[in-house]
Amino acid sequence: MLSPPKGKFRSLDTFNESLAVGYKLLPFRFIRLDSNRYVLTNEVGEFIVVDDNTLRELVSKVLQPNSDIYNDLKAKHFLFDDDSNVALDLLSLKVRSKYEQLSQFTGLHLFVVTLRCDHSCPYCQVSRQSDDRLAFDMSKETAAKGLELTFKSPSPNIKIEFQGGEPLLNFELIKWIVIEAERMNEVHKRDLQFVITTNLSQINDEILEFARQHGILFSTSLDGPEYIHKANRPRPGDDSYTRTISGINRIRESIGPDSVSALMTTTEKSLGSVKEIIDEYVQQGFHHIFLRPLSPYGFAIKTRWYERYDVDRWLDFYFEGLDYILKLNKDGLPFVEIYASIILNKMFSPFGTTYVDLMSPAGHGIAVIAFNYDGEVYASDESRMLAEMGDKTFRLGNIHKNTYEEMMLSDTLLDALEQSITESVPSCNDCAFQPYCGSDPTFHYATQKDVVGHKAFSAFCRRNMAIMRRLVTLLTDDADARRILMSWVRI
Amino acid sequence: MKANELQFESSSECQLSFDKNVYSLAAIKKAAYKFAAEFATNISDKEKIEVKITFNSDIKKEEYPKIVQGFQHEVLDQDLREQIAKETGPIRNVILAEAFSKTALLTEE
Amino acid sequence: MLRLNTKEIEAVGKTTRSDQVIARISTNPNLPAAVRSSHIFLAKKSDELPGGFSYVFCLEDSLKNEDIKASDVSDVYQIPQYLNFVGDGDIVRFNPLKGMLNVLYRKSSAFNALLVTERCNNFCLMCSQPPKDIDDSYIVQDLLKAIPLMSRSSPEICITGGEPTLLGDDLLRLLKALKGNLPSTAVHVLSNGRRFSDPEFTAKMATINHHDLMYGIPVYSDVSNIHDYVVQADGAFDETIRGILNLKQNGQRVEIRVVLHKQTYKRLPQLAMFLARNLLFVDHVALMGLENMGFTKFNMDDLWIDPYDYQKELRDAVEILHRYRMNVSIYNLQLCLLDDWLKPFARKSDLPQFLRTVN
Repeated sequence: MLSPPKGKFRSLDTFNESLAVGYKLLPFRFIRLDSNRYVLTNEVGEFIVVDDNTLRELVSKVLQPNSDIYNDLKAKHFLFDDDSNVALDLLSLKVRSKYEQLSQFTGLHLFVVTLRCDHSCPYCQVSRQSDDRLAFDMSKETAAKGLELTFKSPSPNIKIEFQGGEPLLNFELIKWIVIEAERMNEVHKRDLQFVITTNLSQINDEILEFARQHGILFSTSLDGPEYIHKANRPRPGDDSYTRTISGINRIRESIGPDSVSALMTTTEKSLGSVKEIIDEYVQQGFHHIFLRPLSPYGFAIKTRWYERYDVDRWLDFYFEGLDYILKLNKDGLPFVEIYASIILNKMFSPFGTTYVDLMSPAGHGIAVIAFNYDGEVYASDESRMLAEMGDKTFRLGNIHKNTYEEMMLSDTLLDALEQSITESVPSCNDCAFQPYCGSDPTFHYATQKDVVGHKAFSAFCRRNMAIMRRLVTLLTDDADARRILMSWVRI
Repeated sequence: MKANELQFESSSECQLSFDKNVYSLAAIKKAAYKFAAEFATNISDKEKIEVKITFNSDIKKEEYPKIVQGFQHEVLDQDLREQIAKETGPIRNVILAEAFSKTALLTEE
Repeated sequence: MLRLNTKEIEAVGKTTRSDQVIARISTNPNLPAAVRSSHIFLAKKSDELPGGFSYVFCLEDSLKNEDIKASDVSDVYQIPQYLNFVGDGDIVRFNPLKGMLNVLYRKSSAFNALLVTERCNNFCLMCSQPPKDIDDSYIVQDLLKAIPLMSRSSPEICITGGEPTLLGDDLLRLLKALKGNLPSTAVHVLSNGRRFSDPEFTAKMATINHHDLMYGIPVYSDVSNIHDYVVQADGAFDETIRGILNLKQNGQRVEIRVVLHKQTYKRLPQLAMFLARNLLFVDHVALMGLENMGFTKFNMDDLWIDPYDYQKELRDAVEILHRYRMNVSIYNLQLCLLDDWLKPFARKSDLPQFLRTVN
């Protein structure tokens, strides 16, 4: 055995000597969190909360080496010193991971199989037609072309989502598309997923059996308890709620409990009732809710739904909902708010998101594409809704007249993506929340007639900044909330 | 750091001046841009940088001082951002260049 | 603790040779004659002693000296009772002149640790195998002789030291020998990873194309100077991280190892976050309780903390790693100490207790 080597061991101080030389900053953004704190984010969205003084000390290079805050900033790649520069290699790797999924390209493909619908929801973004307007159904030829374009995408994950109107009113075409897509996929071998967005009024045994055989998922609207749901979603017979609930139960019984998910839309009626809405979701056996804002498209503008409440009132609604959901979790009921979970994923996951509205460059075309019933191709669902309002700015082409390359490389698409990229537009480029946010060119175009928009006037910006500030504050100040919010992150 | 001089002129206007040796025009403009929903600005580069603020009609008078304070803080923040950008610009380019280069940083599993 | 090395071996009766051998132990008196020369016969009871083996061992008190001398067999040595764990299939280095017996490999063990060198370029505060700056290149030669004698049914071999990568090309030779002779045996190389910061060395090592090879590499802090302090080497953190990146770039499997003590427990959750955000692609994270071996004794003041006192940090860290779907295991901590939520992550000790120095 060696003789005691004490005296040969160096103390921690001797390893800190290189720190005395000073440190350099790594790229980071910051924004005020509250009256005495800032939130800093590094190049890949790792964040840290510091007080006012610390930020100034950090930038003035007088931060005390080897203090806890210094070590945190160093380990999280906000600064580096003479002792270590592997931070640069790691940051490059992390940046690459964040952007890597861009190369997967379009995953979500929307097939608008019909515009016909049996409901007349005032906030609907598309025109509603009655049963006998067969001119508003997608043809088989258009569907076939749509599938051809779908498999041109290199994405290993292909999701085909049936939209409308009410897609189940053209169930025959859905069946054809599913079977044809599966046949084509024997060659392409992607992870193929099907979703039908539906109001469930047309559900029958044949549809359920087909869905069960092909693993098709359902997405429906549930705006809240009966009185809210019925008011938002009128139907002849005034039975939209009962049909939705019975549809949900039928799907669960015959296929499985996770085969149907629900989305809610916020309207004037919803504000002030967020707890009742969440309770409705809990009672109906759902484990999550997506507290969505109203979008400024389609009938919402025509019938002035959009003007009826402003962002701050919606934020009150949202925060009341989020607090209530956190309380449910603390009381032992796991329940997720989806929008928060998307942002949390952007904060904590090394990878990007495919949630279109929070992507930069925007998800238009490169993450989602919409094939309309009439063969027109749009860069996103919102782009299609804008077209229904008469504005075809985001129309990429026609399925029968334009090639894939013509549409995906068109100036229409590329200009919108390039001009709106948040890494380089005013306000966004130096915003600490840029890694968590997105550009949403159609929203800004719809509201400000400009794909970039002036963010000081942007409801999108105001909404996201408020939510992100709230999430950072909860994560930092409330250990219980932090634990719950972290459990919503899916790596 | 020299103090600004706050002068309220007509009921919805306000005049600020910034020492040119301390604040850059760019920082002031960027800050003004962020407050476009609260007020319009008229900036002139004289002996000092003069900023005339005209509050938007939907802003309540009692909110004016707080908004002006926020603007002044934002100018300082923009100044800080300029410092950071100046120092970290080159290294940011190095990191991004490496991230988007063709070398395989990691093999596919 | 089992003693593996002894100087208390004595010849009984006639001797015809005194050269050192690497040989496999056999308790089979009918072992075919053709292979006896690479074996040492272990006699445990009063059987007729077989001839043709390189050497013969008798456990003391198993055979009477008179009986041994009366038999025709030469080169019989008596070995002490405490070596009665030695069994059929084990591989030993026997040096009769020095009366030294080292057990290099035990067939019955689930994992055998092969110490390949005592040299190291770190000097960790808690090193369980304190480094020696000597020329011990003979060890590799001995192991290359031993490996073909090992059993193909061995589940795992651990390559450790010192710092195995200091062997340079010899490490690759060892891995090739293990791959060729033990094609279904997993290999776990414990290394500080620093030499892998050299991309060429890493690429060369990657040519091994082993079916089940993993490098276990310690990272003791998310802060470079703290890690460097624990391993007592400037610049170690950067080299280790770069080494890990190079290994993964070359398709090798990597495990991050963290010994839990006073210098590492405080920032354990931050280290977990650092691993999750920067090294998500590693194959396993091993969190290990401190063993009172080697240098630990001398640095107790700087190292010792009751594991009970860091359970919160441990839980926070494992929660983070688990959230990021990293494979995590806890070793060398008593199960009763662990929070119920942590218990499923606990594994039986991964290193055999009887790893010891050569002389």
